[in-house]
Amino acid sequence: MESNQPPILTVPEATKVKKVAIIGIPNTGKTQIFNNLTGEYNIVANYPGTTVEMRRSLTRIKDKYYEIIDTPGLHCLYIHSEEEIAVRDMILAEAPDVILQCIDASQYKQSLLLTAELLELETPMVIVLNSMDETARKGIWIDSEALERIIGVPVVESIASRGLGKEKIKEAIGHARKGSLDLKYGLAIEKCIIALAAELPFDLEFKYKIASLLLLTDPFVEKFLEKRFGSPRAALIRQETNKVRRQMKGNIHQVFIERRSRWVDQISAAVIKKQKMTYQGFSYHFTRASRDPVLGIPIFLAFMAVVYLSVVYVSGALDKFIDFFLVFPVTSLISKLTLPPFWKDLLIGDYGILTLGLFNAIGTVLPILSVFFFIFGCFEDSGYITNFTVFSKRIFAKIGIPGNAVTSLVLGFGCKTMATLSARSLTIPKEKFIAVFLIAFAIPCSAQLGISMAILAKVGISAFLIVFAMLGFCEMGAGIILNKMIKSKEASSFIQVIPPMRFPSLKAVFRKTYHRVADFLQEALPIFLLSAAGLFAFQKTGLLNLIKQLLTPLIVGWMGLPKDIVDVFLLAFARREAAAGLILKMVNAGSLNYVQSIVAVVVTTISFPCVANVTAIGREMGFKTAMAMAALIFISSFILAGALNWLLVLTMPH
Amino acid sequence: MAIERNVEQDEHIEQLWYMKEQGETSLDFLKKTMKRSFDSKIINELSLLGMLEQNPEDSIIKLTADGEARARQLIRAHRLAERLVADVLGGGDLEQIACEFEHTVSLELVNGICTLLGHPKECPHGMPIPEGECCRQAMKSASSFIIPLSDIKLGESARIAYINCKNDQQIHKLDGLCIRPGVIVKLHQNYPTYVIECEGSSIALDQDVVANISVWKNFNEANDEGCHRTADEKDKGGNWIKKVLAILSGRR
Repeated sequence: MESNQPPILTVPEATKVKKVAIIGIPNTGKTQIFNNLTGEYNIVANYPGTTVEMRRSLTRIKDKYYEIIDTPGLHCLYIHSEEEIAVRDMILAEAPDVILQCIDASQYKQSLLLTAELLELETPMVIVLNSMDETARKGIWIDSEALERIIGVPVVESIASRGLGKEKIKEAIGHARKGSLDLKYGLAIEKCIIALAAELPFDLEFKYKIASLLLLTDPFVEKFLEKRFGSPRAALIRQETNKVRRQMKGNIHQVFIERRSRWVDQISAAVIKKQKMTYQGFSYHFTRASRDPVLGIPIFLAFMAVVYLSVVYVSGALDKFIDFFLVFPVTSLISKLTLPPFWKDLLIGDYGILTLGLFNAIGTVLPILSVFFFIFGCFEDSGYITNFTVFSKRIFAKIGIPGNAVTSLVLGFGCKTMATLSARSLTIPKEKFIAVFLIAFAIPCSAQLGISMAILAKVGISAFLIVFAMLGFCEMGAGIILNKMIKSKEASSFIQVIPPMRFPSLKAVFRKTYHRVADFLQEALPIFLLSAAGLFAFQKTGLLNLIKQLLTPLIVGWMGLPKDIVDVFLLAFARREAAAGLILKMVNAGSLNYVQSIVAVVVTTISFPCVANVTAIGREMGFKTAMAMAALIFISSFILAGALNWLLVLTMPH
Repeated sequence: MAIERNVEQDEHIEQLWYMKEQGETSLDFLKKTMKRSFDSKIINELSLLGMLEQNPEDSIIKLTADGEARARQLIRAHRLAERLVADVLGGGDLEQIACEFEHTVSLELVNGICTLLGHPKECPHGMPIPEGECCRQAMKSASSFIIPLSDIKLGESARIAYINCKNDQQIHKLDGLCIRPGVIVKLHQNYPTYVIECEGSSIALDQDVVANISVWKNFNEANDEGCHRTADEKDKGGNWIKKVLAILSGRR
């Protein structure tokens, strides 16, 4: 996704590349450590589930080559959701040479449970105690040396967000070793595990762990065995498992959990000291206020106002700056040149490659995007997003969206593609379908949201409110309808860790913004140029006029927009930002009035889910569903926009 | 002698209940699991008493409604006893104590213990405890010392007594977040969703999850989120026993 690769490393032949898997519970800084180790940049943020895909990178530490694998968060080896299966299957199938467990030192206990399970794999390990800066604030002191002595694997302290501890981690990877785990489940259970492990295929790794997962009736481990050894052998294993399971009494889940927890308590008691008293500072109280049903409202509104004002004023200033130093000089230079009219048109005409392509991208869209990315980055790093999820949960629940899906929907305001992929963690098919559809439907992604704000600011704040009321209405309507249409007995329970809020590091946010903007330019600029050229060709061949004539009843009659808005729609097929940039220009030129601007923004926000989003839907839900969703959204956008037009025209005084 | 007989009958009835839980109905299975203690005489007696019905042709054996009612009482007493020993009295040989207990206690005492423990739904091994009359009555009985986490006041801390989970996945998930018996949690918020603080992290939970987490009432240990089970608390366990007994004797 959003990554920036350093030059590719080539490995000399006949060198063994060791695999290092970075494993840890969500929001512990795995990706930050991955970035530090590999020198790549991948998006990091302060909410659980930022990373949804595994990433691999080759890196050299001293004279050895390592493949570092970054993974989405994993709570424990007994699986709850789909993105976790991928991580565990990777561990089971690839048997990484080193497991690097990333622990948030300020929430050590939750991670130590996973440590117990990872130690059972008997793979060389390194433990990274990350966020050591948070522990002091929370009044926690961890004796990392004692921890290293007790569990027998290297333990490294780290503050990954500041790049501290990087060299120590590299060194420790070289010294990774198998730990010792003093954890017994009782003779009866262990006998059963060993008996079952003996029946497992000879060439399977982690027999002990897999046997215990089988006994815990983890359905996904059976699937894993079926994929690897074929159904007949998997069926045999299932038989064997059932045989052993029958000998066991009661629910062994409780026993496993109890023993493991006791182990964690013992370790914690030995290596961790806690102050009796800590000062709960501003951020603690602010975090609580931000998700409070009453105090949360002014905080949310204040944040929105900050976004609105900075998008309007800061990007407006940037826009003027670029116009003054780039657009005007270049345009006047070209118009002074003695070129054939065709070439002048191609470059700086209404559909010129420079006017509609380059200047649109750099002059209009880029300033807005940079400002918006910066602010959104601050939100991501501050931890506000998860707190907002809690704050807004009730509203979403009203329309049948469970809490677990709300995080995905909120992420949709950042990037719809990432949000769609994050919906993978929803285990109930109905909830996943609704979430994926609503993300694709009327939620504007960061690029659109930023530009829409800029457009509507020109027309007036009331236009801004009308558009967002309309989009909210569409989302709610769609949510209610889908909820009624799809039947499901199951409902998931919302269990979500809320990260503490903190002041984002400006350096990290600048870096993130830079990479997002660079990605945008790299991905979108060629499309901006090509689509401008395409539109130019349409216009020169007269095709454009023909399309405009054909669509007149729909566009002028139903939606009340000028004919020229067809240019916008055609651009929107290629890139929504390009279309939004053109709307902004039309508003500036005065060719769209109040109602028309509103309708134009609504129709471009809803229609045309971008290619990346449709691809993501295809991956999650299947290609057919993705196409059906896209078509449905496309058609409904025109219907809804037209309806809005008539509503506004009929109710407005003039 | 008559009592002896009863115990043996009870053992058979219980075994048939376990079989029902596992979806087994064959006489062979009963013989296999009971081994030597299986007694065909007792089976006949129980048949005569109308506790079980047999179909000799396909060797199917199962409890009648009367038999199930008796079994329900026994299993309930057994598993509640296990809960009592595990949660309140601080462990020990669950199985043996529970086995002796189930045959001797009265229905009222079982209901009393059940109420005291806050009507748990599962025994320490995770097997379901059959519902009693007391569970069907108001769960928020004033005398209950264990209440759902959703009922404690905002800003209060409480020690988790036990958790009734929707499914195994949820147990593991909650455990992964350190939400488990013995841990102290603090309720921060109950609207729009519940937010608790547990082992240094804030966790948002749905109503249905919070309602299934049962905590000890009146636990005052403000501002202490990371308390470990220590020797001192075992002493507290002793106090609890006294309280338990006081309540039981007061009720009868």
